[in-house]
Amino acid sequence: MSGACILEVKGLSIKFGDFTAVDNVSFCVDRGEIFGFLGANGAGKTTTIRMLCGLLAPTSGSALVGGLGFEDGGLGIKKIVGYMSQKFTLYNDLTVGENLDFAAGLRKLEPSYAKKRRKELFELIAFDKPLSSMVSSLPGGIKQELALAVSMLHDPEIIFLDEPTSGVSPASRARFWALIRRITGLGKTVIVTTHYMDEAEQCGRIALMRAGRLIALGSPEELKKSAFSGPMAELDFKGAESSQFISGLEKAGGLLELSPHGMRWHAAFKDKAAMDAALSALPASASAALIKPSLEDVFIRLVEGTER
Amino acid sequence: MNITLKAFIKKELTQTLRDVRMRALLFGAPIIQMTIFGLALSTEIKNIKLAAFSQPGDAMFERVTEGFYSSGWFTGVTHAAGEDPFELIASGRADAVLIAPAGGLARSSERGDGKMQLLVDASNATKARAVEAYAKSIIAAAAVREYGAPGEPAIQFDVRVLYNPAMESSMFLVPGVMGMLVCLITIILTAMSLTREREMGTFETIVSAPLSNTEVLLGKTVPYVVLGIADAALVVAAGYLIFGVPVRGPLWQLALVALAFVINTVSIGTFISTVSKNQQQAMLGGFMFLFPAILMSGVMYPVENMPGAVIAVAYLDPLMYFVRLLRNIMLKGGDTYVFWTNLGALFLMAVFTAGLSYKRFRQTLN
Amino acid sequence: MKYFNIHRAYSIARKEVMHILRDPFTLALALGLPVMLVTFFGYAIDFEVKDINLTISDRDNGTSSRRLKEIFAASGYFHLVEPGQAGPVEMLDSNRASAALFIEPDFSKKIKGGSRAMAQFVLDGSDNSKAAAVMGYLPGIRRAAQIRMAGMPPRERLSAETRFLYNPELNSRWFTVPGLAAIIIGLLAILLTALTVAREWENGSMELLLSTPVRPFEIIAGKLAPYGILVLAGVSFVYLVSRLVFGVPFAGSHLLFLAACLLFITAALSQGLLISVLTRQQQVAMQFSMIGGLLPSMLLSGFIFPVESMPAFFQYLTMLLPPRWFMAAARGITLKGADLGELAVPFLALGLLSAGMLALAIKKFKTDLE
Repeated sequence: MSGACILEVKGLSIKFGDFTAVDNVSFCVDRGEIFGFLGANGAGKTTTIRMLCGLLAPTSGSALVGGLGFEDGGLGIKKIVGYMSQKFTLYNDLTVGENLDFAAGLRKLEPSYAKKRRKELFELIAFDKPLSSMVSSLPGGIKQELALAVSMLHDPEIIFLDEPTSGVSPASRARFWALIRRITGLGKTVIVTTHYMDEAEQCGRIALMRAGRLIALGSPEELKKSAFSGPMAELDFKGAESSQFISGLEKAGGLLELSPHGMRWHAAFKDKAAMDAALSALPASASAALIKPSLEDVFIRLVEGTER
Repeated sequence: MNITLKAFIKKELTQTLRDVRMRALLFGAPIIQMTIFGLALSTEIKNIKLAAFSQPGDAMFERVTEGFYSSGWFTGVTHAAGEDPFELIASGRADAVLIAPAGGLARSSERGDGKMQLLVDASNATKARAVEAYAKSIIAAAAVREYGAPGEPAIQFDVRVLYNPAMESSMFLVPGVMGMLVCLITIILTAMSLTREREMGTFETIVSAPLSNTEVLLGKTVPYVVLGIADAALVVAAGYLIFGVPVRGPLWQLALVALAFVINTVSIGTFISTVSKNQQQAMLGGFMFLFPAILMSGVMYPVENMPGAVIAVAYLDPLMYFVRLLRNIMLKGGDTYVFWTNLGALFLMAVFTAGLSYKRFRQTLN
Repeated sequence: MKYFNIHRAYSIARKEVMHILRDPFTLALALGLPVMLVTFFGYAIDFEVKDINLTISDRDNGTSSRRLKEIFAASGYFHLVEPGQAGPVEMLDSNRASAALFIEPDFSKKIKGGSRAMAQFVLDGSDNSKAAAVMGYLPGIRRAAQIRMAGMPPRERLSAETRFLYNPELNSRWFTVPGLAAIIIGLLAILLTALTVAREWENGSMELLLSTPVRPFEIIAGKLAPYGILVLAGVSFVYLVSRLVFGVPFAGSHLLFLAACLLFITAALSQGLLISVLTRQQQVAMQFSMIGGLLPSMLLSGFIFPVESMPAFFQYLTMLLPPRWFMAAARGITLKGADLGELAVPFLALGLLSAGMLALAIKKFKTDLE
């Protein structure tokens, strides 16, 4: 796959003292992909991204970002990469214009070029507020779109977004992801970390991380298929006593996965036969429906299932 | 580097000057401190409360007492005739008590040496010394008035006071305050701004750009050097306009000195920010440096009076050199020897502190 | 205040103690400041003006002028320096001398002949108090010179025998050390309190606290008590060092001193609280503490710069400052052994200011919640 890979990671690891934050991670990202990192807090997503941005030096392994490695301390990588960190990267006490000017200065952009890019980016994110508005006065969703635009001021090939939508309304999140798709439509590669399952569904491929390790990699469909070979049923006991059935179900063979989801249960079976057999014992008041596994189910199975 | 540095300076200055609190610190603190030091504080001892005890009708003693009160240093204290002089002092109603000899002053003077008793509250030793010195000169003048000038040989001292003929406190204190202010403002401002940037997470933006460590460090510190020098200029102007503290030396000397000093303080502020986890720690850290630095700077009392070990430490205090240079340049016109030796020391220290903070700063970036 | 639950206040106090112990900076400041102050003011400060560099230009070189030079040298105040290449005034410019004496060519002749002889004394006036002190030495030197040259002292017509009360040896240390308590309380109490409460407002944990059944007064008492104790420990440290190491006497009642300390601590803590409530942000809290705490306690309290030397406006202003009254009380008790009757005014003022400050702080705290 190396030909098309814009980001090639091989055995990347980083240790802080005795603690291994990222353990032997390897993957490859194609140009124009929306590549997602999914995992709990502390799984190593942010640390991986920071290494790929040139902010942290790995302890072992290699990464080629746009064909560049860390030989020059990451300076080459920083030139072709855009980064939007978890905390907002805009200064609240500066105006929009001042933030842009500063970003242009940081990247040593010519004023005329910076102005051109600014116009293009404002069009991209449909930003219509005046340059003199204070960042602190902008609504949350607009702020993150602006932060994204600023991170793209120098026209990078690859853009890293670290939890860009935390603390923002669902409508704004949807808008933001539409923007991400527009960006990749322009030929850019976007790498996102998220812990929202619905966002992960929108990625081309997802890397699932746990305790610094890459435990799954693939498109959402691929992940679901590989995690659940058989069908899945959602069980609703409608307030009736469920413990007896559940314990019986757990002992039964052919059960791949059983987990509570709110008031209901998701049960994944090896095959249709196993499911039919198990469900025949279902109490009358309860109902069962055939469902497609979601990424949340995949996540629980792969990440938390390993603990059982 | 030029574009980036300019961008940094513009951003930091905009942020700082836009913040009401920073403006208060930059402009309010100097005004308050200069007012207090310039107007309120004086190292001169005066308004000394003096009570006089004598037998009624002791005319000579009354004239002597009058001499005390008209000197301008002493003020009168009324008391009942039978009161205990020691009580007066114990209660603080009098700082000193002058007691006429039994039998009247004139008689005592004929027979002997006209010795009066002077009780002085010595809980404030400096004040007590001043009281004694004033008293001696007033009594000597009184003796001349009563008996004429003493006999030969007559040595006369013709005293000339240089640089500050009116012997005003403000001439001495105000340059010291200037130094203190620039020191305080630059250190606190730098330490807190850098820490705040790190706290807010916007530091990441800077670090993610392709800049060398030097560029980042200069970008973060040069704006504060600029602010520090501007502040120094403001403070010198205020001293001149409000208190009439002259600037007898050349401005370029002042500028060089301010530059060397501000590099020192901004470096120290940067260093403090690298060891502080949050803004509160940055403030306290800044304060912990400032307090001894101010104490040993010679602003409030002379460095020469300190014991050897402390003087050695004072010689490591950049504020000490700054104040010394300010006083020398402003009041004495900037002596060449003083200028170059002290400036040299300041620059050496600047190189050292800048180097140290650079090293620490680089470590924190990784 | 409906009812005060000591247990709740205690648990808040305990949490505060944990904060303090875990924050190295606060601890360093609280412990280091008293040590720094005592070291500096105990060892370093000597206000007596001596070792003044004096350069003498003797254009006479006769017996009398030599005698005069010897007297200057022997006075114990001056240290003779050779002018070398530079002229005397240059010596003053370059800080190598603080005073210069010019003896006129006919000096000895005039003295022998019985007429007036002049010597010009040029003084560096930039440090006016030093200059004043030096000028104060001149009459004594003049008299000693006259005795030396005439062989016998002129008859003294009027004189005064000075008796120094409470501090016969004029030990500067005795004067400054009691005042250190004022600085420690005045600065630490205000600064730490202001910062701690402001910090809680800033990170939102104050609102969290207030959403529980805890009463505002319990919060205040619980948060401030540890700092009060910390400050008291600092004062005790200063007391022990000044008594044991410097031999500073303590003439009055310890109980009274403690009472004064407690009153002042209350005022200072209330002031810190007020600052934090008004500013709600650490940065501003710090600045206000410095201005409202350090400046008054160090500069306007009479610690170094006498209150009586201030212009009338400032003298009245300082009456509103607790440090000024505490300073008067502390000095009165430690050095003069004054009792409550003699210190009625400072104690009353301190009491009123403390109560006022506390009431104001509590009121503002409460109204802020609404």
